[in-house]
Amino acid sequence: MLKKEQNDYLCQTNPGTPMGNLFRCYWMPALLAEELPENDCPPVRVKLLGERLLAFRDSEGKLGLIDEFCAHRGVSLWFGRNEDCGLRCPYHGWKYDVNGQCVDVPSEPAESGYAKKIKLKNYPLIEQGGVLWTYMGDPEKQPPHPEFEFATVPLNQTFMTKRIQECNWLQAMEGGIDSSHVSFLHRGDLSSDPLFKGAGGNKYNMQDMSPVFEVVENDGGLLIGVRRNAEDNQYYWRITPWVMPCYTGVPPRGDHPIHGHFWVPIDDESCWAWSYDYHPTRALTDKEVAAMKDGKGIHVKYVPGTYIPLANKTNDYLMDRAAQKAGKTFSGIEGIGMQDASLQESMGPICDRTKENLVGTDNGIIMARHRLMRAARALADKGTIPPGVNPEHHKVRQAALLLPRDVQYKDGAKEALVARKGVRQASV
Amino acid sequence: MQSESARMTTAREASYRVQYPNSKKRAVKVIAVDPASAKIVDEISKKDWNGAAFFTAPAFTTEETPGGSGLKAWLKDLAGRTMDLVSEIEHCDFAVVITTAGADARAVSVIADACALYHKSLVGLVLPGEDDSDAAMAESMRHLRPYTRMLVIASGADYIEAMLTALRA
Repeated sequence: MLKKEQNDYLCQTNPGTPMGNLFRCYWMPALLAEELPENDCPPVRVKLLGERLLAFRDSEGKLGLIDEFCAHRGVSLWFGRNEDCGLRCPYHGWKYDVNGQCVDVPSEPAESGYAKKIKLKNYPLIEQGGVLWTYMGDPEKQPPHPEFEFATVPLNQTFMTKRIQECNWLQAMEGGIDSSHVSFLHRGDLSSDPLFKGAGGNKYNMQDMSPVFEVVENDGGLLIGVRRNAEDNQYYWRITPWVMPCYTGVPPRGDHPIHGHFWVPIDDESCWAWSYDYHPTRALTDKEVAAMKDGKGIHVKYVPGTYIPLANKTNDYLMDRAAQKAGKTFSGIEGIGMQDASLQESMGPICDRTKENLVGTDNGIIMARHRLMRAARALADKGTIPPGVNPEHHKVRQAALLLPRDVQYKDGAKEALVARKGVRQASV
Repeated sequence: MQSESARMTTAREASYRVQYPNSKKRAVKVIAVDPASAKIVDEISKKDWNGAAFFTAPAFTTEETPGGSGLKAWLKDLAGRTMDLVSEIEHCDFAVVITTAGADARAVSVIADACALYHKSLVGLVLPGEDDSDAAMAESMRHLRPYTRMLVIASGADYIEAMLTALRA
């Protein structure tokens, strides 16, 4: 349970809000690289943290993320012409470069220098791992580039999608660290989904329905360990990392690619659910990539030409009561991604946490909220750089492994929880 | 025609959620199992709570052995009165044990026995102690891990209040 003011504190990320300021300390995924595929391609509207922006790639391949609206009469530059190293407003011809600097005001003599006086807000945009990342904070405090493993392996080892989710970022992110829902909502998918089935560890999930949880704070966020009984006096551990503020990892299964999410606020009532899959030591197979493109695993099928899930609130998520009754799916919704999204959106655009009744096994969620609030306050009061900004904090890995019962997972899985180049994931 | 899900997930519809309470007051027993955590719990107990009761288990850690004199002497409330552990657990909804890293946490096994007797959940919370070594933490974990459904290793005492508030304690 949160008080209303605490809930507002955590959920609101627009400019000037405490959590908005916190988010603006980090590099965040803004677009897929495929959205700006070539020089002078069409610009793309981007809304992040309650700010309307426009991304484009200029004639020389430079990336820009600028205020969406022309400084002259306020029209959207999405209608602009991307040409000759700049974006030209089609209304009166004002032109901007990737830094938002106005470089041409046709109605004024070039010699007047009028254009130099006009500059739109811009944010840096960098390409890494098939993702275009932005940093929306104080330029003087821009941190080093992100080093999440999925974005640093060769491109043939990684696959990223994004989908729009029509609810506040926090209720979406909390699903990523809520390990106790998997045994209900996603049961069935372990044995049928091509990106999950066949892993040796799956049997422990099916045999032991009373998992035990351990939450440990680490430098960048949290480690949430879930253990189940296994043979030979061992526990089967599944360990989920959360890196502040919005990165979550799903523990792996067998040699399947590793996956996880970023949950990036668009505004207070919607967010981008980014879903990655990668393998640390090998290229993804054609079959795996085909499954991901087909919406398997944590990915979804789309309304063609959009990042809107094909099953969405406008069609009641293609609810299949017969499949639910037959036990093919627990909720009647197909696919892990939309099973989560449908329920999280059903909470309403901003979940009212004054009404919730958490239990002891929800401590991962409680701790994450606590750390977010603590970090936002420390930033506001003392300017403390929050956990998760340092790229060293990104070098964490999810793990699934067997450990002797008397060994702490923090110790027994110490190496397994660190991303190391060329070293396979610890996975059963 | 707009789908039901689309209509029902708007902010406007959220405003029609019923305003009646959806839960009753819980009885939560918060038990500090070592002197350092007892000091922390003493401070926290002074705040307003929604039915939480705070105890220490000092008798065990300083004098007695498990199973020695039965369970009746196992808890003290913060006024120093001896309380019947079994009775306290019987009438609670769930229990929280708090210890600091490296402290003697053997009392947890007895509290856990009482919880098991009445099928109550036990949440364990380990805070930093004077000895912040991995060995000290491992020792505390050894006492808590077999008995707790949820074990939290927190970096500061402020988490206790956050957790108890979140749990409506």
